[in-house]
Amino acid sequence: MSVRLWVCALVAVALGPSAARADDGRAADLAAQIDRHLEADWAAAGVTPAAPADDAEFCRRVYLDLIGRTPKVADVRDFLADPAADKRARLVDRLLTLPSHAAHFAAVTRSAWLPQTVTNPLLLGFGNQFEGWLRDRFKENTPADEVARRVLTVGVRQGRRNNDPRFLQPDGADPDAARLVGFYQANDGKPENVGAAVSRLFLGVKLECAQCHDHPFAPYTKEQFWEFAAFFAELDPLAGRRPGDSSDLGPQGEKNRLTIPNTSKVAVARFFDGRDPEWSESKTPRQELAGWLTAPGNGYFGRNLGNRMWAHFFGVGIIDPVDEPGENNPPSHPELLDTLGREFVAAKFDNRLLIRAITRSRAYGLTSRLSHPTQADPKAFARMSLKGLTPSQLFDSLVAATGYREAPFLRANTFNVFPDPGNPRSRFLNRFQGGDKPTEANTTILQALMLMNGDFLDGQTAADRAELLGAVVDIPGWDTARRVEALFLAAFARRPTPDEARRFGSYVDRGGPTGDRKKALGDVFWVLLNSPEFLFNH
Amino acid sequence: MNRFDPLLSRRHLLRVGAVSTTVSVSGWMGRLARAAEQGPAKPKRSCVLLWMFGGPATIDLWDLKPGHENGGPYKEISTSAPGLKIGEHLPKVAAFGDRLAVLRGMSTKEGDHNRGTYLMRTGVVPSSAGIHYPSVGGLVAKELGDPRAELPNFVSIAPQTFFGVDAYGSGFLGPQHAPLVVGGNRFGDPGGNLDQILKVDDLDRPAGVDAPSAGARLDLLNVTQDEFAAGRPGAVTKGHAAAYDRAARLMQSGGGKVFDLSEERPAVRDRYGRNLFGQGCLLARRLVERGVSFVEVTLGNWDTHGNNFDLVKGLCGTLDAAWGALIADLKDRGLLDTTTVVWMGEFGRTPKINGQKGRDHYPAAWSTVIAGGGVKGGQAVGKTSPDGTTVEDRPVSSADFLATVCKVLGIDPEKPNMSNVGRPIPIADRGAKPVLEVVA
Repeated sequence: MSVRLWVCALVAVALGPSAARADDGRAADLAAQIDRHLEADWAAAGVTPAAPADDAEFCRRVYLDLIGRTPKVADVRDFLADPAADKRARLVDRLLTLPSHAAHFAAVTRSAWLPQTVTNPLLLGFGNQFEGWLRDRFKENTPADEVARRVLTVGVRQGRRNNDPRFLQPDGADPDAARLVGFYQANDGKPENVGAAVSRLFLGVKLECAQCHDHPFAPYTKEQFWEFAAFFAELDPLAGRRPGDSSDLGPQGEKNRLTIPNTSKVAVARFFDGRDPEWSESKTPRQELAGWLTAPGNGYFGRNLGNRMWAHFFGVGIIDPVDEPGENNPPSHPELLDTLGREFVAAKFDNRLLIRAITRSRAYGLTSRLSHPTQADPKAFARMSLKGLTPSQLFDSLVAATGYREAPFLRANTFNVFPDPGNPRSRFLNRFQGGDKPTEANTTILQALMLMNGDFLDGQTAADRAELLGAVVDIPGWDTARRVEALFLAAFARRPTPDEARRFGSYVDRGGPTGDRKKALGDVFWVLLNSPEFLFNH
Repeated sequence: MNRFDPLLSRRHLLRVGAVSTTVSVSGWMGRLARAAEQGPAKPKRSCVLLWMFGGPATIDLWDLKPGHENGGPYKEISTSAPGLKIGEHLPKVAAFGDRLAVLRGMSTKEGDHNRGTYLMRTGVVPSSAGIHYPSVGGLVAKELGDPRAELPNFVSIAPQTFFGVDAYGSGFLGPQHAPLVVGGNRFGDPGGNLDQILKVDDLDRPAGVDAPSAGARLDLLNVTQDEFAAGRPGAVTKGHAAAYDRAARLMQSGGGKVFDLSEERPAVRDRYGRNLFGQGCLLARRLVERGVSFVEVTLGNWDTHGNNFDLVKGLCGTLDAAWGALIADLKDRGLLDTTTVVWMGEFGRTPKINGQKGRDHYPAAWSTVIAGGGVKGGQAVGKTSPDGTTVEDRPVSSADFLATVCKVLGIDPEKPNMSNVGRPIPIADRGAKPVLEVVA
């Protein structure tokens, strides 16, 4: 090892724990603030919160939320056996270091930000590039303001041969451009579409309705919409000074203005709070917008991202839908939302602070089992809501539960429009696609049939062909109880209750209807994998 | 279809359903079997949508301009309705001209496949405002269907959803009104594989699982599922149970068989045409016979930017045989008065013929057709200019058209559904004016 590496290692050792301790303190502090807000609300509203989730329930939940799959048998056993008092926080810290965490968050963010690239084959490549870039960001824990600034200011230009806005090109001088251009392509390269997306994603304000008329519920006007879209006017190939025009347009020329369609009115880019940028030659309209958007004083950005992170873990935002604030959609806990936004800004937009704080909050650690009628409203956060799995979460959990050895080239196929008959992942992604709200996830007949009768689950529940089940069936010296327990740990990440142990144990001991114990264990595994306890995040 | 005793528990139903194919028929199973012999109680109405993906050149099918340079080489032919003339390549359709109404004043605003598809199938322009509008199939099936029916109320045959899957689902109505899809997203000629393609995927029990084991599995699943759901009541667990319930019902003796086209005589199958659309229409007829409320069958490849006239002639051959056979069969079975057949694409095509002898996208003036039950047939409503470029009389928007379909089916187009954004939204957009001239 070179001297330099030695020094680096020493520095890392020296910095590691203390930095982690500082993070820890900050997360604990924010978690305590979250608890105070919610506990006050529960008391005021007469809500009796649910009991805390046990370690098994917490473990399964946090695996699904952070790395997009359920824990494997050994993961659960280790976690349940760990006597440490702070094991939940340490589990979160460990999961955050895994590549699958970056991959899961990148995939979730891509489908929230660019849903069209998931379903439209023409945009698929752009979406994959964008997701790859996001993966690197989550891996490095790039602050969220930097991510937004990069997306907003990336170098793109009109293609030389085709000036259709859909054929925007990455600017070769910008190293991120090739991977980020998809953000603009997916929005047709149109200022109004890009502007609407940016407003929705980064401000949490849906301005689109104001595109044609003043917003019916919120105080947004048609003019405000076009003034916002005008920050992206440079994407319009027709922007720029017209021949013979000698009027004084300012340093950005026509790159900061748009003609409102079907009118003769020109909208000049203006911030959403009514202020005007101080136009200069050195800053493009997109740079102006990025600066305003991510400035610490801009309350929208931090609150919106805090709310979206909250919704990731609870299935419901404090404002929900997350992008429709307004008189008809007030936040359920305004002070809590302000706290999240403020602390996020103070922590320099560190995503992991929010993650650590939310996952150690009391609300996140509650069971999903309803024990009092006042817990029924998901916006009370008085018990964990049931959430649907994304198609990838479902298949990755099936892989983890069944031990299916998936070849990397099969794993790489995440395209859901055309199912590849030879690839179980592709077929699951196709069958389970859909944009339901996680807390309203539903099951179709074809999905049920695929799980009941499809060849993937059939293979993994047939003792002679299955991977994990095959091993569980054959391990010498195990009694029925241990075999059943292993299947429960694989599918539900918990041990069976005494009642379940008796019910399933006696079924296996008598060999089910066929008198074949191995087949009966296959039946048990089939039952567990078809159960809502496996198919949902709870 | 009220074929099931509502007092029977779901568990009981699943248990027996799974075993029913091999176990002797006794007890209430006997009643079930007898009910199946009698056939389902007929629903009030059904609707078959013939969805023409790609934008059909309606100027060559329904609103010809013979003599004008935009008219192309096709001739008009008479139909069974005096005065109503259509394109020469639809002779079998012409034979039931008295049962169909052509709306020649379609005028819409979206000329992009994606957006046009969304507009025509939901009745509203696509926006990113986050309201998940349901497709016409979901809307109609919700009104006409029986939630306890053995078969799903909405079946979509051979849809091509590559460019905008949003226009094909049940949106804010929820997955219980989503289509059961068979033969989706296929390209090219599936050849001799048609029967397999038009079956429901994964409907058969795996070969290695015998009936008693399947029944035992469902028994155990029910207990496990109920225990979990008891502590977590709500739409998610209810939806899971309902889907498994319906899947198991579909697996049992009668339900799935409707998808087995080999039950039909070869001559019948020939009449519909041995292609995906033709056999899809045959399946639609079988489904309507079993009481399914809404069936859609997709015929693609209408995007004739070049060589329009040869391509449209070929497509008309496929369309004419299948549609003609469908109407004839529905008539024979006494189902035509209760079954409405709707024909539409996402837009029409340019009257002006381009340099490649093709026609391009054109939403400003085009045609749709509505036939059969509830329709005052034998007429064309609306009129385009002599060059086909503008609507001169009785313009119809997508929302108007959706409202018209509702009226024909006996549904109130203003009936609201609760949306995903927490406010009620009427079936057809506010201000939609149904074309009452075509309502019988």
